[in-house]
Amino acid sequence: MVTEGIHLNNDGSRERLLEFDFGREDMPRLRVLVDQYAAWAGLAEPRRGDFVLAADAVATNAVEHGGGHGRLLLHRSAGSPGALECVISDSGPGFASSVIPELAPGLGGSHGGRGLWLTRLITDRLVIEGGTGGADRARGSVVAFSMWLPG
Amino acid sequence: MHERADAHPGLMPVQGMRAGDHAFLSYTDDEANWDALVTYVRTGLARGEKVIVFAAPQLDPDAVRTRLDGTSRLLAEARGRGQLTNSSMRALIRPDRGFTPERQWDRLGEETALAVAQGYQGLRAFIDMHWVADLDADIETMMYRESHAEHLFDGRPYNEVCSYDRRAFDDDVLDAMSDAHPRSLLGALGELRIVHRGQSVTVAGEADHATREPFLTALDDALERSAASRRLLVDLMPLHFLAVRCALDLVERIAGAAGHDGVEVRCAAAQAVLLRRLGSDRVRRLTLTEVVRAW
Repeated sequence: MVTEGIHLNNDGSRERLLEFDFGREDMPRLRVLVDQYAAWAGLAEPRRGDFVLAADAVATNAVEHGGGHGRLLLHRSAGSPGALECVISDSGPGFASSVIPELAPGLGGSHGGRGLWLTRLITDRLVIEGGTGGADRARGSVVAFSMWLPG
Repeated sequence: MHERADAHPGLMPVQGMRAGDHAFLSYTDDEANWDALVTYVRTGLARGEKVIVFAAPQLDPDAVRTRLDGTSRLLAEARGRGQLTNSSMRALIRPDRGFTPERQWDRLGEETALAVAQGYQGLRAFIDMHWVADLDADIETMMYRESHAEHLFDGRPYNEVCSYDRRAFDDDVLDAMSDAHPRSLLGALGELRIVHRGQSVTVAGEADHATREPFLTALDDALERSAASRRLLVDLMPLHFLAVRCALDLVERIAGAAGHDGVEVRCAAAQAVLLRRLGSDRVRRLTLTEVVRAW
């Protein structure tokens, strides 16, 4: 289900632009929507393309490892600078941020964490919640990343 | 997808449409046509273009608007400020009643100039070709228009999708129209299309989680087909989206192609940046060639 619009939850400092419950077959549409709202929020190319790339990488993780589907929330935060934030949650077993390689991964070997590694590289902020081995595992993982918006 | 369109040298997904593009699209599935229309509209708005939709004239205009806009506040806002409009070929050529290519070209040129004067990046138009029957226009005249419209596009901030319902046109007309357009659009959102030609492989559409397996198969096939010459060109220019995992697959497949002396990957700047981030510079036999489109 998709719910769009800046009317979703506007408390003055954080506008919710988009809610999207997605599955594997929804990824092309997810990218179109994220691209459009990122443009509306003021994110220009090539940063906008990176934002869409990150959204696809994190959403793909949710589809692959998080129970086959997930939920994407897109927010614009006011401030100086403002930020565009993407939060993707799933109902899978979760994972710890330690799965992300610290350095540029070499070629060959496991692909694990590459999408998140790149997301951390190309965005301004990446936060991972859930999957720490405790009670959070029951509610899946929540991955949030953001980019600063031009002033 | 039909064979003629499949072999089209300008094969691309609808998201790849840019100023100067004149594209052929055909459909038998109305839903696929809606997907293309909605995606074309949204990507155009994101790029700051003005958008005019010439939907099939037999459809109720209010229903078209409701279907297109959905509950999207952004589309409603775009419609409110005039960035997104619905029209018809009948309305475009007024006060003329009969269709002539010259009148339509003049009007589209005027609309393009107006869009630029209003501060937009340019104009894009989605034209459902059911207008031909609606205006009782001659098929030959329509075909002349489609195959002599270069002046609308060359170096100009205008792009256009001509969408043909395969149930309404003869196959020979559709083949001729596919050939007359410099671009031919993939039929479904998220589709990946592979074309092998000699020692090259062209990858069009979207390479993501859903299409990763055919993407990998295409790379393996291309490496095998080019084994004798030991050189391969991988053309990603018609590829609109390359996911991280697929980009990594590409770099690793080439790194492992010990029998090849060189593999050239031709791509847009954003894909080149992604491939470099994933280590393409460490693969000696891989050459990245960035191609910059004029628009």
